[in-house]
Amino acid sequence: MLEAHIVKARPDFTVDVRLSLARGAGLAIFGASGAGKSTVLSCIAGLETPEAGAIRFAGTTLYPPALALNRRPLAYLTQRDLLFPHLSVGANVCFGLPSPNLDGAAKWVDELKHRLGLGPIWSASAGRISGGQARRVALARMLARRPPLVLLDEPFVALDRPLIGDLTRALAEWQRTIGFTLIAVDHRREILERLCPRAIAIEHGRVVQEGAWSDLAAAPATPALARLLAPD
Amino acid sequence: MLLFAVALLYPLIGLGTPVGPWIWNGGAAGSTPAAVRVSLTLTALALAIVIAAGTPVAWYLARGAGADRIVWEAAILISVLMPPIALGILLSLAFGPGTPFGAWLLRVGVLTSNSPAAFVATQVYVSIGYYIVAARAALAAVPRELEQTAALLGLTRWAVFRRVTFPLARLGLAAAVSIAWVRALGEFGAVIVTAYYPSGIPVQIWVNLQSAGLPAVMPLLVIFLLTALPLPWLIHIVAQRRHADA
Repeated sequence: MLEAHIVKARPDFTVDVRLSLARGAGLAIFGASGAGKSTVLSCIAGLETPEAGAIRFAGTTLYPPALALNRRPLAYLTQRDLLFPHLSVGANVCFGLPSPNLDGAAKWVDELKHRLGLGPIWSASAGRISGGQARRVALARMLARRPPLVLLDEPFVALDRPLIGDLTRALAEWQRTIGFTLIAVDHRREILERLCPRAIAIEHGRVVQEGAWSDLAAAPATPALARLLAPD
Repeated sequence: MLLFAVALLYPLIGLGTPVGPWIWNGGAAGSTPAAVRVSLTLTALALAIVIAAGTPVAWYLARGAGADRIVWEAAILISVLMPPIALGILLSLAFGPGTPFGAWLLRVGVLTSNSPAAFVATQVYVSIGYYIVAARAALAAVPRELEQTAALLGLTRWAVFRRVTFPLARLGLAAAVSIAWVRALGEFGAVIVTAYYPSGIPVQIWVNLQSAGLPAVMPLLVIFLLTALPLPWLIHIVAQRRHADA
């Protein structure tokens, strides 16, 4: 179970968000750019420290006090891929694994490699691959450790539509088999809908609506949310 | 680039000027190999101390968030800006028998002048500031987000440094090591005050100049270049090769 209350001041407003999520469930954080979605993820991941509130996941207190980054039971895909440019694609994917042969890790890495189409670039330098390839490598690296909590911030930036379809299907399947809890952030409803059945909508750092996507679409709480939910 | 290299190395023309037959043995028999041995062994020891003590400081200055960094940066700049001979005089006074610490060192058997300890300590003092300034720039150039990403993948601070920070900063760190090595090995002004004995190459060059003139200096200059150059050169070649392999 993830229980979070995050209060974090930003230059133009204060983010004040409460989340509650059952273990293995998925939740989308939906809102316009600059609404405070990434701040919420960043605080859960530990890259930013909230000014108040509390974050607990599966019996572990993430804040307060702020738990060290390397002891957090989570994986975080940020908007930037942040691959290690001095390593190969394969070394990036296996970077967080204590031992590539431990506990079925090799089989799992092999599945990631093939499902994400990384075979042809496995030995290439991570600093010399395309943006779309880098995104897939970052996704594989994040999932290689089979984390219990997965945070995705605009996960499919720079990817084409067919690949997005493949990846969302793979992610949904992996969520079922691994059982990770998922929080995904994006400003595109069509992306989030495929990953998470429930969503919270954020405006200026506050939750304005929460529920199933159909509920949000049927009666948006604010005009801005209605515009975001409207089909293109 | 060629013109620049020619201009930079032009002073070496001086090695070819007629000064009479070169005297390879210097002022006294065995003084040249002894000076080379002293310079190489004690400078290597000083360099190890500089790297061990300077790297954590450089890392703190590159990554620390405290306002106290400004104070430490000023302290390091003082050591860099100090004229070498002035630093030598200050070291002699501060570690001499006139201060409680210097007196204590003497009591426990550490000779603070004209000894290998004085030689190494002086080299550390003259070179560590340069090492920290260069190493700090190299470490600060590594994106912090990459270190955070590595930590989120379960790595401890030391593992993050070993597997991410160090490999990405290694070209800059190689430059820092080279600067420290050359600075320490070539130091004359401070060392001649604190450690006339045991004589390293720079002090021996001065001794030879005084006792036998330029013919005794030239061979030592060549030997200095041959002994000083390989280490920084090798470090750069290894660092650049690994950089290219990555």
